[in-house]
Amino acid sequence: MSRRTRPALPPGLIMPLIFLLALLLPWIPLGPSSNYVLRVLTTAVLYMILALGLNIVPGFTGLLDLGYVGFYGIGAYTSGLLAIHYDLSFWWILPLAALNGALWGILLGAPTLRLTGDYFAIVTFGFSELVVLVIRNELWLTRGPMGLPGISPPSLLGHTLTKDWEFFYLVLFLLAVVLFVVTRLEDSRLGRAWFAIRGDEIAAQCCGINLIRYKVTAFAISASIGAMGGAFYAKWFKFIHPDMFKFWESILILCLIVFGGMGSIRGTMLGALVLIPLTEILRAVLPQELFSARYLIYGLTLVLMMRWRPAGLIPFERAQEALARRAEARIRSRRGGEQGP
Amino acid sequence: MKTILRVARLSKSFGGISALQDIDMEAREGQIVGIIGPNGAGKTTLFNCLSSLYHPSAGQIFFGDRPIAPEFSSKKKKLVAACALVFLFLSLLWTPIFWSLFVPGALFKVETVMLGLLLLGVRFFTFRGLRRFEIWAWGLIFLFLAADICLALFLGGRPLSQDRFLGTSLPLGWVGTPWALAALPFSLFFGLQLCTAPARRLFGFKIGPDAVTRLGMARTFQNIRLFFHLSVLDNVKIGAHCTMRSGIWRSLFRTRRQRAEEQGAEQEALNLLRFVGLEQRALVLADALAYGEQRRLEIARALASRPRLLLLDEPAAGMNPQESADLIRLIRRIREKGVTVLIIEHDMKVMMNLADIIYVLDYGRMIAQGTPEQIRTDPKVIEAYLGGGVHAPA
Repeated sequence: MSRRTRPALPPGLIMPLIFLLALLLPWIPLGPSSNYVLRVLTTAVLYMILALGLNIVPGFTGLLDLGYVGFYGIGAYTSGLLAIHYDLSFWWILPLAALNGALWGILLGAPTLRLTGDYFAIVTFGFSELVVLVIRNELWLTRGPMGLPGISPPSLLGHTLTKDWEFFYLVLFLLAVVLFVVTRLEDSRLGRAWFAIRGDEIAAQCCGINLIRYKVTAFAISASIGAMGGAFYAKWFKFIHPDMFKFWESILILCLIVFGGMGSIRGTMLGALVLIPLTEILRAVLPQELFSARYLIYGLTLVLMMRWRPAGLIPFERAQEALARRAEARIRSRRGGEQGP
Repeated sequence: MKTILRVARLSKSFGGISALQDIDMEAREGQIVGIIGPNGAGKTTLFNCLSSLYHPSAGQIFFGDRPIAPEFSSKKKKLVAACALVFLFLSLLWTPIFWSLFVPGALFKVETVMLGLLLLGVRFFTFRGLRRFEIWAWGLIFLFLAADICLALFLGGRPLSQDRFLGTSLPLGWVGTPWALAALPFSLFFGLQLCTAPARRLFGFKIGPDAVTRLGMARTFQNIRLFFHLSVLDNVKIGAHCTMRSGIWRSLFRTRRQRAEEQGAEQEALNLLRFVGLEQRALVLADALAYGEQRRLEIARALASRPRLLLLDEPAAGMNPQESADLIRLIRRIREKGVTVLIIEHDMKVMMNLADIIYVLDYGRMIAQGTPEQIRTDPKVIEAYLGGGVHAPA
């Protein structure tokens, strides 16, 4: 029986293998376009991080969050300002940006998470607009529409990162950290509480789950991951501007999640990996006269997807079944251990 | 036998419609207490009040000796509570407010903003600690008071032209000592008075449904409310939420304590599933269960929180005779575990078989109470519930 259910690869090995393959990627000779491909992939991985962060709120906890880009912006500006004013190292900036994101997540979440459904979505939307307005108008802090130029690139052990493959490795490292956090939380008391809130708020309350507390936790963790993404973005792009954090970005990240499968970690990553490079691929593939129709095709993909697979590439239920299989393996190994040879 | 649940003159009205009026009831430890009544009699409303999903309009509920619903409705008290909230807010934001009033330039510096946010965070968590009467929070409150007094005394009445910490670009600002001292009561009032026990008693308090479950009262629902797209095992583990402790950090680093706790919870969940006869189905999604199985899973989930009192809302609804006979056996076994059971049921056979004492509700009023025999022959019950003397159930 165990032979039949056993997959070709032990599930714990799939992710590390994919990471190893990704590490080899910069060394595949692609000629002159190699750096371009790497930059597109770095963007895709960055959006994977953002999508994994956002996934915690609408995916795990079931709250529609339209203001995620606000935390992304807060992270980027925290990173940029700390780098310009204090010349802090990236490795200090990263946790500080995450903390700042979490702080604003709590400040926004604590009073508003009592709202339900659409009302909450509108509040988060307002928040992201507020962040952009503050960034645009508070010249003393952010230089407003002039943007923040001259952010120093990150460095590691005295070596300053400049090449595209170095940034690709850096973003892969961040992805690994975020993935670690998210997968651990998914299979824990905290994650189950979130899933319960997504499933049925009243039943969750009656199971002893303090709704506000767990919603705020979800919001804070999601915000800090978003802020981490922003911190990397500022250090990578070396220039940030309020227009980079427009509402459209929130929708895009939400699209990635919906496309990949709300609440499933692998689905979310797959969604980002498919959708983000899609416009670039279309740019290369489409003939010149159809070039500007690439967003049309992009939209069409989303529409068709929602028609044929409304739950996304890897639906939430599939992710839960995977968790159940993991529990099964755990129980079986424990039983085996108890009986002993 | 000790009284585990006491309801005194409980009323609940929605707008002008009163769903419950002056309900008095009592459950003793180890009893199976039945509640019957025709549709719309207010049975589920009563359960919702007990589990604090609704806040009663009047009356009291005691679980053991803990009040679950104190009387908390007068307008005056609400006004005082609103004032208290304003003071809480002001004392939280006291430092930024102070700066923005008296040292306007200082607020718009990166350093001050960060310091202000840090203080805000520390104060926020301090007040949360105060609510639970933790000693460190009291210490911090006194520190804040001292800091505010120092701020008022040292900064007060002094022109700030140059400040090493805040930078040289600071505009001139006068900080009036009287103003600063006048603002002190914000800290004093909230820090020292609002958090004391008498204040809490004055304002009353609400206990949420989650706190009620943590006290030891679990429930099931009339229309099944499972977490349908989670596995059966996870459903039960969520039920065990309040018996576990690990938070973010322990889950992130999978400490030994967290792993032991997870393992224990998993084992207990499996035991409970065996108890209700679902151990073969532990790893499928709850969606895939048959109707009767879903009902049993809900009971297992409620039992996972290790309750002393279990509220069952129509557990036999939609079951065939065989299944309801099984259910009766299951509820008896739950009682044998030492759990008091409060049960709403339409199936008279189940009720007459199980209950030690039955309360009868009609149009939100308690019209009768007694043993099944007494209820069966009570003319008021027969008239209201069983219908103009057609026949009493066998």
